[in-house]
Amino acid sequence: MEFDPHYLFTYLPALMRGLLVTIEVSAVALVLALGLGLAGAAIRYLAVPVLSPLVAVYVEFIRNTPLLVQIFFVYFGFPAVGIRMSLFWSGVFTLAVWAAAFHVESIRGACAGVSKGLSEAGAALGLHRWQVLRAVVLPMALRACVPSLLNTSISLVKNSAFLQAVGLAELTFVAVDRISADFRMLEMFSVLLVIYVLLVFLLSYAAARIESVLARPFRA
Amino acid sequence: MNLLYDNRTLLLAGLGTTLQIAVVTLIASIVIGVTLGVIIGMTEGHWVRRPIRGAVELLRAVPLIVNVYFVFFVAPQLGIALSPYMAAVVSLSLWGGANATEIVRGGLQAVPRHQRRSARALGLQEWEVFLLILLPQAMRSVLPALAGLMTLLIQSTATASLVGVPEFLQISRLIVERTTVMDGIDPSFGVYGFVLLIYFVLCSPLTALSRALERRLARQAGRPVAEDAAQQAAALPALS
Repeated sequence: MEFDPHYLFTYLPALMRGLLVTIEVSAVALVLALGLGLAGAAIRYLAVPVLSPLVAVYVEFIRNTPLLVQIFFVYFGFPAVGIRMSLFWSGVFTLAVWAAAFHVESIRGACAGVSKGLSEAGAALGLHRWQVLRAVVLPMALRACVPSLLNTSISLVKNSAFLQAVGLAELTFVAVDRISADFRMLEMFSVLLVIYVLLVFLLSYAAARIESVLARPFRA
Repeated sequence: MNLLYDNRTLLLAGLGTTLQIAVVTLIASIVIGVTLGVIIGMTEGHWVRRPIRGAVELLRAVPLIVNVYFVFFVAPQLGIALSPYMAAVVSLSLWGGANATEIVRGGLQAVPRHQRRSARALGLQEWEVFLLILLPQAMRSVLPALAGLMTLLIQSTATASLVGVPEFLQISRLIVERTTVMDGIDPSFGVYGFVLLIYFVLCSPLTALSRALERRLARQAGRPVAEDAAQQAAALPALS
């Protein structure tokens, strides 16, 4: 196995298109997941009748089943019962629903960690329960759970590689496709390695920055 | 769900393979994790730490599926003949081992530093300090995370289907494909729904165990449980 830069350069544009798909699918899913996670956590915190236990079941179910099977279930199973989504959007949907389950738990845990006295004080001032959540509990809780939210988001980007299994032309798909065609694995695996490590490194760096910015008001 | 009943022998064989992979990789992961975690925890400032930590970070940064493909495609090139089954076991064990290493390292680090110093001051040998003082305390905080890793390993065995190991998911795929071709109906929703349900039944007791261990640990340490729940929620997705 010799490393052949020419081979690499020939397929670099295809790989970059794959990387773009990876970034697109993860970015949309990442934003959706945060919204879903926030909504789910609010439902749990306010103990909305009917919905709250449903969210609890959803969280447990997602966390205790493999993402790969979830991807198969959505991509192959949903059309069988008449729900049709494009490959890209079923990928976005699965990743977002997967990550949101972890977000709900993180946000809910952080809300439970906010001192009872504060929410009671809010209630004493005549705020509604959802106003207490929005103005008192969430601003503090979200700061506390930023590390776990970012962790889950980084996992989401890595896990977008699972979409290779249903044929979404993201980075891993492009590389594995080339490998099964030409058996030149050294080039392809080096690219995968470098890009994923770089992606995770950049995201971790961004995460550390966001954490330090959010911690600023609390620094002495 | 006649289809599932008709294929029960196949499905059970697939489930057996899944559980077999899970148990083998779990044992390998714990052996790797304890060995490397202890080496890292016990050799402060030594150069051995660097390659180990580098490998652990690398394995955790690269998606699991890339890992599996890497072992599957590259091992034969290096003259090592690996069956798909062995390729899956090796790659999942390496991945699980990297995560277990982080867990053990974290557990050892969580033991207050004065414990080691006090033990030394009392005249205990280095191995006694480690075996009698540090390890028991580290194990307590490591157990919930290891139970969590166990559910993750069961879930990640599904990745083996991508290199053609006839485990639970792969068998279900075959059943879906055969039925689609032979009978002209698409049973994906029911079959994959059933697969999800079985994984859920396998994993949720372990998750419950992990939480119970976590809560007991929190009670013993006198820390509020809610805070730990958030931390645990943070720790688990980081592993996947």
